[in-house]
Amino acid sequence: MTTQTPTTEATQTAPLLMKVRGMSMSYGEGAQENKIIENLDLDVEFGQFISIVGPSGVGKTTLLRCLSGLLRPKAGTIEVSGTQISGPHPDLAVVFQDYSRSLMPWMTTRENVAFPLQGKGMGKTERNNLADENLAAVGLAGQGDKFPWEMSGGMQQRVAIARALAYNAKVLLMDEPFASVDAQTRFDLEDLVLDLQHKLGVTILLVTHDIDEALYLADKVVVIAEKPATVVDEIITDFGDTRDQLATKADPRFAEARARILVRLRKD
Amino acid sequence: MKESTISPGLLTVQRVVAIGVLFGIWQLIIASGTMPSMLPGVTQIFAGIGETIVSPLFWEALGKTLLAALTGWVLASVIGVILGLTIGSVRFLDRSSNILIDFGRSFPVLALMPVVIMLLGSNSIMEIVVVGLSCLWPVLVQTIYGARRQESAVADTVAVFRIPVMLRFRRVLLPSAMPFIATGVRISASIAILVAVGVEVISQAPGIGRQITLMQQAQRWDMAFAYLFFAGLVGWGIAALLQLGENRLLKWKRQNDD
Ligand SMILES: Nc1ncnc2c1ncn2[C@@H]1O[C@H](COP(=O)(O)OP(=O)(O)O)[C@@H](O)[C@H]1O
Ligand SMILES: [Mg+2]
Repeated sequence: MTTQTPTTEATQTAPLLMKVRGMSMSYGEGAQENKIIENLDLDVEFGQFISIVGPSGVGKTTLLRCLSGLLRPKAGTIEVSGTQISGPHPDLAVVFQDYSRSLMPWMTTRENVAFPLQGKGMGKTERNNLADENLAAVGLAGQGDKFPWEMSGGMQQRVAIARALAYNAKVLLMDEPFASVDAQTRFDLEDLVLDLQHKLGVTILLVTHDIDEALYLADKVVVIAEKPATVVDEIITDFGDTRDQLATKADPRFAEARARILVRLRKD
Repeated sequence: MKESTISPGLLTVQRVVAIGVLFGIWQLIIASGTMPSMLPGVTQIFAGIGETIVSPLFWEALGKTLLAALTGWVLASVIGVILGLTIGSVRFLDRSSNILIDFGRSFPVLALMPVVIMLLGSNSIMEIVVVGLSCLWPVLVQTIYGARRQESAVADTVAVFRIPVMLRFRRVLLPSAMPFIATGVRISASIAILVAVGVEVISQAPGIGRQITLMQQAQRWDMAFAYLFFAGLVGWGIAALLQLGENRLLKWKRQNDD
């Protein structure tokens, strides 16, 4: 994907797709205030695959909901393509943790994928064709007439990914997308997402508690920890474009990076 | 929903036996002589039913009653669904209208009839209004329940993909509340027939209810009971039809609950 953006800062070498500065988030008010995230910075470049890794309950879902415009942060700024967002943004699509519930059971998979396009005002033939194309891209060719509840968890997750792809957003935000499928399905889905990212050039920001998954997928791993959560480390991985579930994970640099993250998460 | 494990053949036998027992009890009561003598026996009622079926007067009356009942019911369903989805999905409206709706649903609409007759006269418009007011509450209350139970993952999805309000209403809110709406609509279908007949008895607006009163005045108790029987049959038939439609329409719901 080749996209040009307005250069907001002359000093910036690569134009940023997303820029988060000093973001803080809390639930509740006054004495009840529960600080979840404090003073978080994040840069997302075009075409990058970023994993955000942190322990359960640290605030990953909260962070992703802020980034997707579903929650308004208490402080700080979130810019997408150079403009600050104040709610859900057409450049952002989300694959939810609770994917099976995020699909509408009264719609076929084709209708589910086409639904956001209908919201954009696209005609029926065009949106159905696009839905079929994207279903095929995630390995569900010819399954458009099935209902989500006729499918396995892994297939439902593919539908959710197809829906996000069809929406044609610049950034895909994914919240622990593979947490509730079995190990083999999980590996298949990870490789599918990597493959799609290379083919389509979308930018992906994925949140997970799984260190191996974070490292295997990402160009950059952002480690968040502590309470309130903040960025405690950033690791640029260097495993190249073609990754393999066995070879990549056997790479000494993989073990080294994993150890570094473990140490980071153990302290505090 | 749990399916009954009983075989359909046995079920039919049980039902026939139940009806037979009912007829037996009826006949016993008549025979015991504790009831006024004008009360017709089972055979007389069956004769009356036979006579009614071939009577053009009956079919005309039935048509009038059905038309009023259906019109009131459809109007109430449409208004109830639109109003209910709006109230149930907007928290502020839901909270502020709570008391009003609880009051309205327990208000005896039939008691309001004299006022409605005074305003509109003793005609089918009046009948439709009373039927509609009676049908509105079950639909409204059920729809509000349904709209409230919006899955949070669905709400997030709708927000993230920036689905416009009207599309959300039609393709998300309406179908997700449909299991509840269907129950409300089915309940109010029975109410519609009941109230329509009742209104006709009280106000003498044309229809089955008026015929029942006329037959009573003419001392034709067998015919009066035959008309009553048909009023019940129609209500039951409509409810059964709706249940059938509901089962087809909500296939996704049952699958989803498993
Ligand atoms: N809607 C909410 N209201 C209040 N507290 C919440 C809410 N959502 C999450 N939390 C709290 O915020 C913390 C972080 O939750 P979450 O973002 O879901 O973490 P993670 O996704 O990393 O497991 C938890 O302690 C959780 O109890
Ligand atoms: Mg989470």
